[in-house]
Amino acid sequence: MYLAPICGARPEGPLLYAGCQNLIISTAVARFNLIEAGTVLSVREKILIVDDEAGSDLMNSVRRKLDREGFETVVVQPQSRLATGDDFETEALIAIESVRPSAVLLDVRFGDHPDDQFKGLGILGKIIEKAPNLPVLMFTQYARGPHRDTAAAGSLKFSSSVDFIDKLASPDEVALRLRRLIGRTPEHIQIGEELLIDGGAAIVYALRGGQKTPIRSVQGMKFAILLELANAWYKSPGELVPFWKLERFSEGEDSRASLRVRVREIKDALGEALGKKFGPEDLIVNVRNRGYVLVVPR
Amino acid sequence: MSGLPTGSKAALGTAVLAIVVGIAAMAVSPVFGSAVAARLWLVEPLAVVGAGVTAAGLIAAALALLLARRGSSSGDDATTRQLWSQLTQHYFDVFGHDMGRPIRRILGKEREVRARLAEGQKPVDSAVKELLDEIEQQAPSFRLMVSNIQVLVQLEDEGARPQTEPVAPAQVVRNVVDRYVGIGRDRGVNLSWWSEPAEFGLEYCDAAAVDHIVTNLVDNAVRYATGHVEVRLTRNPTHFFIRVWDDGPGIPGHFVPHIFDRGWTPEVASRQERTTSGLGLYIARTLARRSGGELTVDSDASTDPGHHTAFTLALPRANPNHASGNR
Repeated sequence: MYLAPICGARPEGPLLYAGCQNLIISTAVARFNLIEAGTVLSVREKILIVDDEAGSDLMNSVRRKLDREGFETVVVQPQSRLATGDDFETEALIAIESVRPSAVLLDVRFGDHPDDQFKGLGILGKIIEKAPNLPVLMFTQYARGPHRDTAAAGSLKFSSSVDFIDKLASPDEVALRLRRLIGRTPEHIQIGEELLIDGGAAIVYALRGGQKTPIRSVQGMKFAILLELANAWYKSPGELVPFWKLERFSEGEDSRASLRVRVREIKDALGEALGKKFGPEDLIVNVRNRGYVLVVPR
Repeated sequence: MSGLPTGSKAALGTAVLAIVVGIAAMAVSPVFGSAVAARLWLVEPLAVVGAGVTAAGLIAAALALLLARRGSSSGDDATTRQLWSQLTQHYFDVFGHDMGRPIRRILGKEREVRARLAEGQKPVDSAVKELLDEIEQQAPSFRLMVSNIQVLVQLEDEGARPQTEPVAPAQVVRNVVDRYVGIGRDRGVNLSWWSEPAEFGLEYCDAAAVDHIVTNLVDNAVRYATGHVEVRLTRNPTHFFIRVWDDGPGIPGHFVPHIFDRGWTPEVASRQERTTSGLGLYIARTLARRSGGELTVDSDASTDPGHHTAFTLALPRANPNHASGNR
């Protein structure tokens, strides 16, 4: 079995290999200005990729995205050049034991042989036998039609965290779906290019000109509101956080008015640190008496 | 008669009975009837009635057999149509899958070029960046177009029925928003969505149809929005609703009656080259109706800041008692 280096071929970062339990964040990851909207993890969540086209340009773009998001990708690649679906199955099951991934990205089709057309579903069944709680994202071209139904019906036989995504999905979409399947929010959440929230230390950082500057004025309840919005955004961007989830961070008789003031203060503080002016439609948007939604600053 | 439809069997049975009764009437007329003239029993009234009934019976039997043959023929036509539809679907599934390969290769190369440019630290020519962006932005359009054609082929099968199953509509909306949030960001459009109640639970419906309808509506909204798209999921005791709202320029009143027409786009009206297939809204409404629901539009094309367009999908809560048991 070949386990691919998790940082790909980045020349500037030390190569880390799957199987390392005590991971050090690579230079590439630590240089926050190289990270896209996503996360920096102190211990990286591992994604096991089981796909006979794992070396394709398209899959490389997905791996790059996951790497930037702070995930560690491990590719299962049987040594035989004429590997069949069975070979992938064997290697995948070994890798699940040795790598202990947080999720699996699994192809449905392994080659054109009729036996391997839905081999991914067979592998899925074996994975679930071995690790019933391991989330699996099926990566398939069978977006619709009877093949899609066959694939979906096969996955429904198993009671696990299984989801489907189209192979033409953008790397952003794949990363989002994996975030939700894994279900955990990391300690560090980066919003856009300029804000980093450290949930453990309860500090927001402004990222400008290669500098990481703490924004001290966003603390206490203001930090809690921002963290709640960031956590929701991380798992489901665009999804509104209703007032009732946020009002516990406000005070006084008119909790919504109090909340409105705090949100205004957060936006002012972050705007000041970034040299920007956040208006009503920027960063944290109030949706007509429903709640707030976090929007990545442009 | 065993191969005939039930209605034809009844008509033919009645006709045969009429023929038997008519012949019997003619046969017994010399015994029971009174002759109009000697040796002219054939013109005796009972014989005349019998002959009339026999003739009517023969005509009815002929018509019943003719109709039965036609009915059988149209049944064959329906079966043939269904087989053709299934064959077309099969071919398109294979075609759609194979067509995905070159598109995946093109997308992969484009992303590879983008990654190398990013690593190169050199300023990228804006024309190159624009070209790469264009390729990337066409991917979701292609994905939706293939999907639309597949659904269109499926809709040709008149016998096809919605695949009702327990579905979490909030999850469908969330997945569609995931797909478009990045595209929206590139176009300067924010997407937001919420459900009322927040924990929406399950509904019984056709998951693929709902996903397809909402995808078309959100794709449309992101295309025309000025800055915001909002998706709202609500329900009442009989229906659940997915409303997709955008702050775009709105649809002029004289276009509204045509927007669900097959192949219609605003460019068609102004005789310009079409930028979309004009199938999305047609398919969305057809799918909605096939699921027992409806798709409606409300648009304000005024020059006020309040201009907008909102599409509302209403679907019946097919099995609310069962659904609530699964929540």
